[in-house]
Amino acid sequence: MTVKTRRSENMKCARSVLCALIATILAAGCGKQPNSPAHAEAPENVTVCLLPKLKGIAYFSSCHQGALEAAEELGNVELIYDGPTEGSAEKQAAMIEKWTLQGVDVIAVSPNAPDVLAKAMKEAREAGVDIITWDADGLEGTRSFFVNQATARDIGYGMVDIMAQDLGGAVARGQLAIVSAGPGAANQNAWIEHMTERIESTYPNLELVTIKYPGENQNQAFQDAQDLLKAYPELVGLFGISSVSFPGTAEAVLQAGRAGEVLVTGLSTPNDMKSYVKQGAVKSVVLWNTEDLGYLTVRVAEALATGKLKEGDTTFDAGRLGTRQVEGDHVLLGEVLVFNQDNIDQYDF
Amino acid sequence: MKRLACFNRWQEAVLLLLLVALLTVAGTMDPAFVSPRVQLKLFDNMWELAILALPMTLIIITAGIDLSMGSTLALSTVTFGLLLSSGCPPWVAAALALAAGTLGGMLNGLLITRLRVHPLIVTLSTLAAYRGVAEGLSKGIPVSPLPASVQALDTSVLGLPVAGWLFMALAAAFAVGLAATPAGRYLYAVGHNEKAARFSGVPVDRMLFRLYALSGFLAAVVALLYASRRNTANPEAGTGYELEVITAVVIGGTSIYGGRGTILGTVLGVLLIHETREFTQWQWSSDELNLTVTGCLLILAVLAHRVLARGQAEESA
Repeated sequence: MTVKTRRSENMKCARSVLCALIATILAAGCGKQPNSPAHAEAPENVTVCLLPKLKGIAYFSSCHQGALEAAEELGNVELIYDGPTEGSAEKQAAMIEKWTLQGVDVIAVSPNAPDVLAKAMKEAREAGVDIITWDADGLEGTRSFFVNQATARDIGYGMVDIMAQDLGGAVARGQLAIVSAGPGAANQNAWIEHMTERIESTYPNLELVTIKYPGENQNQAFQDAQDLLKAYPELVGLFGISSVSFPGTAEAVLQAGRAGEVLVTGLSTPNDMKSYVKQGAVKSVVLWNTEDLGYLTVRVAEALATGKLKEGDTTFDAGRLGTRQVEGDHVLLGEVLVFNQDNIDQYDF
Repeated sequence: MKRLACFNRWQEAVLLLLLVALLTVAGTMDPAFVSPRVQLKLFDNMWELAILALPMTLIIITAGIDLSMGSTLALSTVTFGLLLSSGCPPWVAAALALAAGTLGGMLNGLLITRLRVHPLIVTLSTLAAYRGVAEGLSKGIPVSPLPASVQALDTSVLGLPVAGWLFMALAAAFAVGLAATPAGRYLYAVGHNEKAARFSGVPVDRMLFRLYALSGFLAAVVALLYASRRNTANPEAGTGYELEVITAVVIGGTSIYGGRGTILGTVLGVLLIHETREFTQWQWSSDELNLTVTGCLLILAVLAHRVLARGQAEESA
């Protein structure tokens, strides 16, 4: 009898918990104003979706900061920032499909795999959504403008020149290797092309011995760099050319006790690399201003939606960034930043 | 037995009620979400999981589990992708991918019935092993783009994609098979009391073996559908699917201890989890909410299940 009563009380309790939950959901539903996206509202209001390759890494979070700043400055932009937490291109496609159904104005995407996203991007354009790319480009015909952080040539040449300079200038000699991202990463492949070109044309005493492709995976980059250190004892420099492979590579050099003996340089955010610069494994970090990249992307998105930016324009008024060049359908951010011991503490992203 | 049927109908009524409540709330917050056009398009994200939930229901009814579904899917995907990129004709590649998935399922079945290792342990090992093989064979690199003939598989017939029709047909077949054939009854018997079922002459081992093989085969079918829809053969495909599929089946009222469950319940479970997730994403655009929502739904389902089970225990007392 006691058991039965207790059971029945338990049951009542659990039932009321369920009822309460349902009631909360219903109440939440009534309490919140319907917020259907901007199309129905005043025409100058613009909904911009910013889609990074991967949500939650320092690089893209700092882009988001800049984007927020631009949205606040402009005043008429509702900014939605979301991306896959594990970097899946298929999920990026699903997000574009969802935003297209919602009828947003502009989707700015940094495609993880252009082929996977092409269909969703084309369908979005057919449905009247403006698609631009930023940070990395998509397939032809899938977007109107590409907000390009720096030309592949600037970045490729920049990394090689800085490595050579850190190794002693024109007299630098020895073996170099690259730790890239995935083998299909369009940005990295374009940079590698220009890096190879620059080494061959300008630095006859430097030799690029091999390239590793760890993907967007820091542990794998770390292992690949360890393998390189063992396989090529004569190495004088390593390039880590993604914000994930750079710290992995630097960590490998540090743990092998060869900081200063094998120099590491590459692309990453200053916060990720500060400790390696201070410990001497890294002399210089190459990057563009990522906050400015997010800022410029939102500016371009808004201008496109309101008709301020059109095909064929050669310059673009980018708020606090001043006037930016437009080459064809590329809007250029156009400045490579170099962080080193002297200035790295001034940046926080 | 009669009480059991009653119980399931009640559970399904509760699920239906929750689904209606959810859609009503969603419709109040944003009418666009419940429009047929939007719903139909969002269903594209559901068919694959829905297909996988069917064999999972049968497996859980036998008190088993298949954690390796997502990895088997990846294994088939990679087989498909590698064969295509080596110039194999698409239909040969597809046939071999289906074979790879089925073999994966058969190996699970063999280990479970011959070595008498618990399905949880067997499929937990193959969850890791199949994914490892998939990553190893492909070196982690997705094959993309796929030939136009493969992308053409992602097409609509009478307003519904191939995957949608396939799911409907399979769901009907599974529902009838489970409710109205001796084999279906045997599955419940195995789940209730495997030993008793054996002594009563039910071919337990043969049934379980075929069931896990079927699960592998359907995982491979889904692999092909997914690859054609997303134009990529990605070794990461299907990661975490097992969690979503099991959640849907358990929400649908199938007892994790076996012996109880229906296809209708599973279909409602899939719909509930799908609509909840899509709506959260629709309203709050936040990828990290996905896992949280799935986890909360699973807990709620188990809680609701316990309440209902107690209610029933009391009625029969």
